[in-house]
Amino acid sequence: MGYTKHLTLCLALLPFLTVSCKGTVDRRIDPDEPDAVGGAVLDSQDIRAMADKMSRDIIASGILKSATPERTSFYITGLRNDTSDTIDREIVLTKIRTELAKNLGRQVKILDRSKEGMEEIQRERAAKRAGAVTSGELKGLAGSDYVLKGTIKERMKQAGKLKSVYYLVTFELTDLESGELSWTNDYEVKFESEKSVITR
Amino acid sequence: MASRLLLLGTLLLAACASHEPPVPLDRFLAGDLDAMREFFDREIRAGNANSGALYLNQLAGVELLDGRLESARKKFDAAGRFMNNDNVSGSEEFAAIWGAESSKAWRGDPYEKAMNGYYTGILYWMADQPDNGRAAFRRGLNADSESEGEKFQNDFALLFWLAGRASVRMGLRDDAEAYFRQASEAQVFAVTHGARGNPEARILREPARGNLICLVDMGLGPEKYPDGSDGELARFRARRRPEAQAEVFLGGQSLGRTEILVDVPYQAATRGGTAMEGIRKGKAVFKDLATIGGIVAISRGLDTNDSSARNTSIGIGIGLLALSLLTRAEADVRHWTTLPDTVQVLAAEVPPGRHVLRIEFQDAFGNVLSGLTQEWTVEVPVSGEGVYYFRSLPGIDRRAALRAEAPVGTATEVKS
Repeated sequence: MGYTKHLTLCLALLPFLTVSCKGTVDRRIDPDEPDAVGGAVLDSQDIRAMADKMSRDIIASGILKSATPERTSFYITGLRNDTSDTIDREIVLTKIRTELAKNLGRQVKILDRSKEGMEEIQRERAAKRAGAVTSGELKGLAGSDYVLKGTIKERMKQAGKLKSVYYLVTFELTDLESGELSWTNDYEVKFESEKSVITR
Repeated sequence: MASRLLLLGTLLLAACASHEPPVPLDRFLAGDLDAMREFFDREIRAGNANSGALYLNQLAGVELLDGRLESARKKFDAAGRFMNNDNVSGSEEFAAIWGAESSKAWRGDPYEKAMNGYYTGILYWMADQPDNGRAAFRRGLNADSESEGEKFQNDFALLFWLAGRASVRMGLRDDAEAYFRQASEAQVFAVTHGARGNPEARILREPARGNLICLVDMGLGPEKYPDGSDGELARFRARRRPEAQAEVFLGGQSLGRTEILVDVPYQAATRGGTAMEGIRKGKAVFKDLATIGGIVAISRGLDTNDSSARNTSIGIGIGLLALSLLTRAEADVRHWTTLPDTVQVLAAEVPPGRHVLRIEFQDAFGNVLSGLTQEWTVEVPVSGEGVYYFRSLPGIDRRAALRAEAPVGTATEVKS
């Protein structure tokens, strides 16, 4: 058998060798860049982008800046998920809270109204008042001027092997005294994907 | 040299096929959760990486039975994300089409994706996250609607009903009504097309009723097996068990019998033909023709006296036989073996507080299967509902009673 025939056979088998010998991936990547895992779902770059957009817009609106020496207080509550993708709301809300705290610093009071946080506060207050632990100045629980909350909605379309999903994440800042909607903004993203023949 | 290379190619493609060890279902049916956890855990760590999501679902199922709810939820959710991710690499696609289909990563059939949505959703609901629970139920419904047999899309009554209950918890009455209506339509459609169950099930006539919800996994789901001359067809057969229904007692008083809201073998059988089925059938025809052609060519080669013609004929024959060997037409029959045969539900209005709940499993004639009877302590809140999950396996309640970190009754209650 000539050299050409050997080469032809080797080339014919090359795809099989490639398939059999594929390596693995283990590397650090930029959270602002899409990853190879894919999936038509909200990802790290969306969470970072929406947290950045919302915190910048709230700050620019000036709503949280107080005209009096008393700092404006607010807390962040739920993010209602109306999509068909389970979402860790903590990751989104914590990121927004961190961005606001970083940018506003001591200009505002950010209150912890989480279930775990409230339990911790009640326990510590009780212990201080019982003299079980030392305490500085005893204060009343801080009331809140505003609450920040949000919803995630989706619109999904499917035709044959093609699918698209549009996500709309809306945040609202409500005045807890008047009930007025003081600020709102949203973040949008749309994905399109095609199902492989091997998964149909 | 040519035959050596072809042999190498055959071995490489053969190596790509997955050969899963049999799941010890006898241990599962005996309620030996430790053996099951050990088996699935070993397969995740050291088994076929392309079956990771399959074993993750089954390990999560064991953890749900064992009351390890948060860990089970995370595993079901991770498996569900993978199963519903459409991102497939070119090399994976190539290998599954040209080699063995089972070389691809397991993502499950639509009914398996729907069942993942069911488990993920109830665990989010139990964790007091009804919106994420509803998201998981909807993810399951989307998967059910992917069934190629369009006629059988959207007939998963259980998920519609659960999405309705989650909507009630979220305070979204209009959404709830829409889901409840779809649940009734899905149930009627499924039952009139061969599914077991009552088209007029009480749970669907009064869908928002009850502050105690019992979700019961009954029996063992269908087995997927290869059929056809080259195993190119994926078929399902039921794995019948004696248990067919359950009766729930609270403080000694019967609350009634559970009702079927999903017939898993029906859902599996009506998943419709897949695109890969056509490819496998084509490969099977090619394989058979290549084998026949190869034998004919070799036979003709052996019959001729012309040495040059003989060598050519035998060479072609060997080539065709090698191609036949290389062609892997068999269907990928990996499947979620520990799924139930049916999921049944009972919702009852009971006084808030702590109760002793007994669940009796019965055969189709109403005879009590005493070895499966379980007794639990359940807590029904003043507002909201208590959600409890049960399975027709022996001794699950006794395991819970012995567990220090999760006492009898488990932490499955949903508080308002």
